Amino acid sequence: MTRINFVEVAFDSLRINRLRSALTMLGVIIGVAAVILLVSLGQGTKNYVEEQFAGLGSNILIVTPGKIETKGGPPIIGSARHKLTLNDSRILEKKGYLFAGVAPVVFGTAEVRYQNRSRNISVLGVTPAFQDVRNLHVEIGSFLGEADVESRRRVCVLGRTVKRELFGNANALGQTVKVAGTLFRVVGIMEKKGISLAIDIDDLVFVPVRTAQELFDIDGLFEILISVRNTNDLDSGKELATSLLKRAHNRNEDFTITNQAAILSSLYTILDTLTYVLGGIAAISLLVGGIGIMNIMLVTVKERTNEIGIRKAVGARNRDILLQFLFESTALATAGGIAGILAGVAGAWALKLLVPKLPVSIPAWSILLSFTFSAFVGVFFGVYPAKKAASLNPIEALRYE
Amino acid sequence: MRSEPPREPLLRLRGVTKLYEAGAGRVVGLSDVDLEIGAGEFVAVMGPSGSGKSTLMNILGCLDVPTSGTYEIKGTSVAGLSSDHLSELRNREIGFVFQVFHLLPRYTALRNVELPLIYAGVPREERARRALEELRAVGLEDRKGHLTNELSGGQKQRVAIARALVNKPSLLLADEPTGNLDTRSGEELMEILAGLNASGVTVVLVTHDPVLARRAHRTVYIVDGRLVSVERFREIRG
Repeated sequence: MTRINFVEVAFDSLRINRLRSALTMLGVIIGVAAVILLVSLGQGTKNYVEEQFAGLGSNILIVTPGKIETKGGPPIIGSARHKLTLNDSRILEKKGYLFAGVAPVVFGTAEVRYQNRSRNISVLGVTPAFQDVRNLHVEIGSFLGEADVESRRRVCVLGRTVKRELFGNANALGQTVKVAGTLFRVVGIMEKKGISLAIDIDDLVFVPVRTAQELFDIDGLFEILISVRNTNDLDSGKELATSLLKRAHNRNEDFTITNQAAILSSLYTILDTLTYVLGGIAAISLLVGGIGIMNIMLVTVKERTNEIGIRKAVGARNRDILLQFLFESTALATAGGIAGILAGVAGAWALKLLVPKLPVSIPAWSILLSFTFSAFVGVFFGVYPAKKAASLNPIEALRYE
Repeated sequence: MRSEPPREPLLRLRGVTKLYEAGAGRVVGLSDVDLEIGAGEFVAVMGPSGSGKSTLMNILGCLDVPTSGTYEIKGTSVAGLSSDHLSELRNREIGFVFQVFHLLPRYTALRNVELPLIYAGVPREERARRALEELRAVGLEDRKGHLTNELSGGQKQRVAIARALVNKPSLLLADEPTGNLDTRSGEELMEILAGLNASGVTVVLVTHDPVLARRAHRTVYIVDGRLVSVERFREIRG
């Protein structure tokens, strides 16, 4: 016989007090929207970084000259006492049975000029192996060959941006450009690659590694990139490279080998943490929204004392009043949660449109979590006011004006 | 309409005393009240303000329980009932009409009349049907969709009567029902109460107006929490 429709009663009450209901929901709406938006932002940042490193491959070991005592990072530039040489690279290539490719790299900046146009560009001295190790390929013409390296030929391959800036739509292949005052013949144009690791791959000029050493007047290398055949062999590959290089360097470990994947994974951990922290901060605003609900519900109980008295006089039991008020707060929080999800998703989309570079994505767990949390907030912060309402004495409640 | 076995009154109060804890000491609300009201009776309760009228009304209406003494409705004692049981008892047995109407504002007249049925667990359609019936009985069928704060005082009190009667209670408790009405609406309301009583509803009317009390079958007088004779009442009032 006790089939009390407290749901109907609660909805009646919410409908009758539309403005108050809407304002109460606002706190939760903002909270949930903030959680979703900030988590999406964090996730977007991670996606961005992932995209940046994606071209690098997860099977790369980077050998840099110099050794630092603290672990976990590349050495500070200029701290190298012993150089990495092309000989080191050759040893790795010859004896590194785990390696798919070994690419010595020389790095410098030079003025590159064609006719009256000139730019200051990063110049990479590389070998043919560089193509496969870094997964960068030539689109027009050919890449640098073994012979180009051995004979220190003055040939170069241009990145897309460099080509456009210097040549416009004209054909660049076979033309000569001046790199740091020396004439180089253009043998190839790289395919469009975009930005990776904050370096615009398209804005580079590639020359044979020995030519670069000559050009910049250095005999060492900037780094040696090693691609390992099998991702599982990254650790053993690192050991192999270490022992090979130590032997070549009179047992001195005067170089550093960085496992790119390891650094990436710790970076991702940091970014994940960032996402959680952002979400947590937003969750605080959701909590504040919940307290707002409690606040309004408490005021409501006071304001509706007479109503509670009337309901009790005509037969509402404590439980009926409790459930009505509890359901009101839960409905407010849940509706606010849904509206907040819509607002948050809309906000994330807007952000995506405004900042196309940031690949904002909304993780499903953030939606689920913020919704569950808002519903929980409604129940949790609704209990106290509802209990207060239920425990009112009907006589006093009727007398209250 | 409601058949009670003879000799068994609808309501029976025996030595009912109600004390209130108030600050320093106790305030006597009711003192040793004996009262029986039979089914179908129309009883007026008269007394000056502060005499214990409201306390008596609260106890009769199961809004409150006596400190000592017994109160029985249809032979069942209310002593020791939980507040939820009292709610159920009010829902089933008692209809209230208050001086200040006590309708839910911003709810329609029909919704207000439905209220007791909601707590009786009556399904929606039946609820609406019975509420409409009751509104028709007080001549307000055409006002069912009006919000109660849009109604006149007389109309509000008729909605309140419809609400009081919708769950077919044993007792209609009216506390100064004409107190906030103009003379004409007051007259009309008393006609309705008299008519209801004629059709078998037990009515207890709490008032301080002797003219209204004259409409009842009998009048009980209350002074300082005690029932007194009419002579004693006149003496005190001077």
